[in-house]
Amino acid sequence: MKSMYRIRIAFSKQDPVRWLSHLDTQKAFERALRRAEIPLAFSEGFNPHPKIAFASALAVGVVSLGEYADIELAEDMAPETVKEKLQQAMPEGFGVQAVKKVPQGTQALMAAVNRAQYRVRVPLAKEIEDGMVKAALAKSLAEEAWLVEREGKKGRSTKDIRGGIYQLTGHIVESHLVLEMVVQTGSEGNVRPEEVLEIVARTGSLPVHIERIRILRLGLFVAKGDRLMTPLEVI
Amino acid sequence: MQHTHESINKALEEGLLTKVTKPTRYTGGEYNQVKKDWADIDVSMAFGFPDVYEVGMSHLGLRILYHLINEQPRMVMERVFAPWVDMEKEMRARQLPLFSLESRRPLTDFDVVGFTLQYEMSYTNILNMLDLAGIPLKSIERSDDAPLIMAGGPCAVNPEPLADFVDLVVLGEGEEVLPRILQRIAQFKQAGRWRTCAETRGREELLFALAQIPGVYVPAFYRSEYDEKGLFKGTIPNRSGVPARISKQIVADLDKAYFPTKSLVPFMDVVHDRVMLEVLRGCSRSCRFCQAGSIYRPVRERSMETLKKQADELVKTTGYDEIALTSLSTADYTCVEPLIQSLIATHQEQKVGVSLPSLRVDAFSVNLAKEVQKVRKTGLTFAPEAGTQRLRDVINKGVTEENLMETVESAFANGWTGLKLYFMIGLPTEKEEDLEGIAQLAERVVYRGTGILREKGIKKSVKVTVSTSSFVPKPQTPFQWEPQARIEELEEKQAYLKKRLKDRRINYNWHDAKVSFMEAVLAKGDRRIGDVLYRAWQKGCTFDGWSEYFHFDRWQEAFAESNIDPEYYAYRTIRYDEPLPWDHLDFGVQRQYLVREHKKALEESLTHDCRLDSCSGCGVCPTLGVSLDLRGEKHVPNSDRI
Ligand code: SF4
Repeated sequence: MKSMYRIRIAFSKQDPVRWLSHLDTQKAFERALRRAEIPLAFSEGFNPHPKIAFASALAVGVVSLGEYADIELAEDMAPETVKEKLQQAMPEGFGVQAVKKVPQGTQALMAAVNRAQYRVRVPLAKEIEDGMVKAALAKSLAEEAWLVEREGKKGRSTKDIRGGIYQLTGHIVESHLVLEMVVQTGSEGNVRPEEVLEIVARTGSLPVHIERIRILRLGLFVAKGDRLMTPLEVI
Repeated sequence: MQHTHESINKALEEGLLTKVTKPTRYTGGEYNQVKKDWADIDVSMAFGFPDVYEVGMSHLGLRILYHLINEQPRMVMERVFAPWVDMEKEMRARQLPLFSLESRRPLTDFDVVGFTLQYEMSYTNILNMLDLAGIPLKSIERSDDAPLIMAGGPCAVNPEPLADFVDLVVLGEGEEVLPRILQRIAQFKQAGRWRTCAETRGREELLFALAQIPGVYVPAFYRSEYDEKGLFKGTIPNRSGVPARISKQIVADLDKAYFPTKSLVPFMDVVHDRVMLEVLRGCSRSCRFCQAGSIYRPVRERSMETLKKQADELVKTTGYDEIALTSLSTADYTCVEPLIQSLIATHQEQKVGVSLPSLRVDAFSVNLAKEVQKVRKTGLTFAPEAGTQRLRDVINKGVTEENLMETVESAFANGWTGLKLYFMIGLPTEKEEDLEGIAQLAERVVYRGTGILREKGIKKSVKVTVSTSSFVPKPQTPFQWEPQARIEELEEKQAYLKKRLKDRRINYNWHDAKVSFMEAVLAKGDRRIGDVLYRAWQKGCTFDGWSEYFHFDRWQEAFAESNIDPEYYAYRTIRYDEPLPWDHLDFGVQRQYLVREHKKALEESLTHDCRLDSCSGCGVCPTLGVSLDLRGEKHVPNSDRI
């Protein structure tokens, strides 16, 4: 049997590539890996595809400082070499932060990642005090259910996302409301940062220009008890 | 508000891009994009593609010229596409001007905005893009602060409907002419004669200087005349010092011609998303309806060595997993089999496939498709064009029913279960039996295919798609004098086929006859059509090539208001001795040859391909001082034949 080499890549996605859809990102990676002449392992079958698995899809327009992908190689290659070659071959806006070998038997990236950390920033419609933000957070967090409407394949549905909020803080910076949060992501369900903002703003009657929201994903994590570990730390 | 690249950038990143579908149509930043420092350049050009990004990015000409110009040290070329309707709405609401992808500068910052004319139905998009850019629509209204508006591409064969809107037109292949044009503009700027300060009045002088470059046509220096009944009488210079006829320019040696070793790699799916290798230019099969066959003559091939080298480099610099061999008719390339074999052998390991995207696979050899299929399965399209041998002889489509059936049989025998058949309806001399012929041919293909699949024990049912487009008489073809079939007539023919092609294994689709009518009017129009274009655009016509945005009623209103009878252009039989609106533009193919071909068509007599036999005397080679250039060993150089 052919032995497989798996590597894990930590990367960032900023302007202008934050506008790429998940599918576009996959294609961009595939092409960059080919340009970098990194020996890819391909799937069997009529339409062979390189084996690339991303930790989690990122919404279009969102900047991220902590994305991850696992890639199977046909031959061994030093992580440092992969990092260097790949960075040179990536389109502007992608940053290759780190590359690490993945030992055999490691849990799949997508299955392991279950937390996401976000910072959202939205302009205020009128000046308010920090205290008002604290009150809004306290009031929202005290509510038992956070119901959101989702448009799914099977039509509209209502979901309670309260259980998926693990950390939530907020303050005012230069006429902007800034929220930071750690929320659930992955196979158990996704909490969307814009939904969190909407609930907090609505509950606390915070005057914000919600349509001008900017979302930053700070990272993806694996929750181990109380600890959050990055996908590189777990291997 | 006066916009700069900073303010445009801000508007895009802060809200605008979240409001539109497919934002990467507007973001740029693709791998191999060239971003230059504007402090270090002398002349700038925006390449305008009057359709949406994913269509424009599939255009090989853009990719060639983009890298060609950007490799010149003091020139820059950036890209701009027609913003999709949602983007246009957002831009107008914010009064945001049309901008280039690379530096996000307003188009008014550029010295030249050049539009490629790939399709008549994109003309209103050119007007709309100029308007979005805040550039006066009419050439006559522009002063030195407006960029020069240039046009080129296949429809430049008759750019007269756009004569009011464009400042200069490039005839023929741009690789050699375009750098010369930009060089001349740079000289004017350096001499302080154009655009260097607010006081310059150099526009006309500059255009006059550009008109001296072979292949450059400045419509404003010519006047069209009509008789008292409104019949077109000719287009002549309105000043001295410009040529009475402008000749197209072409690349004599394609093997030595510039071809980029890098290519932009779009993020979103575009129509042709692969390495495009241009194996040859031109086609001399002489189908009598085909404009491309006339205007890209003579056939010039690239050598295998050059193509293999280009493929290697492009695969490395793009990361694409597919190499497409493009041209008007790739199967005619004299080295096609060894080229495909060699490319597959070289790139198989990296799982890079080879494909033949060219639509008209007539000289299709099953071997080729089989070779290609080793790595990736591609759809097969055959273009018999007409349903009976008689009509195929009229149009000089050198395929027989036997040819077709043989090819189809081997396709089914080799594992394909579906294919496409492409026909044209409304061709000159077409009768009901020709339509019936289409239906019967499709049925024979289905029966034969079903039989073969059954023999092979394949459970899948055969799927045959029949597509019909409608004949559009085009300038510089032997059928340029022919009238188009009336809309009602074409619709009856479509209805006939719809009724005849009821078999569930056959899928029939057709082009809107009203669009074909508009294509004919715009393709053969004279300068008076400019007013119609303007009014149609004012009524909101854009993206006319997209069926959901085609509004025939608006066009009809525009014709009525301009007092123009569109039928004069589309339905009239033109006499051989009548002047034509494109007579002052010399594409090398001689009128006598076209007349001869037209007469032969009516006699159902064939003209052979000059690659396979002697020169058929179209006039291109002697007029342009070039010759047929084939690379296969079996072929003798053609120069001794003319
Ligand atoms: S001049 Fe003769 S050889 Fe040249 S393209 Fe025309 S027919 Fe062919």
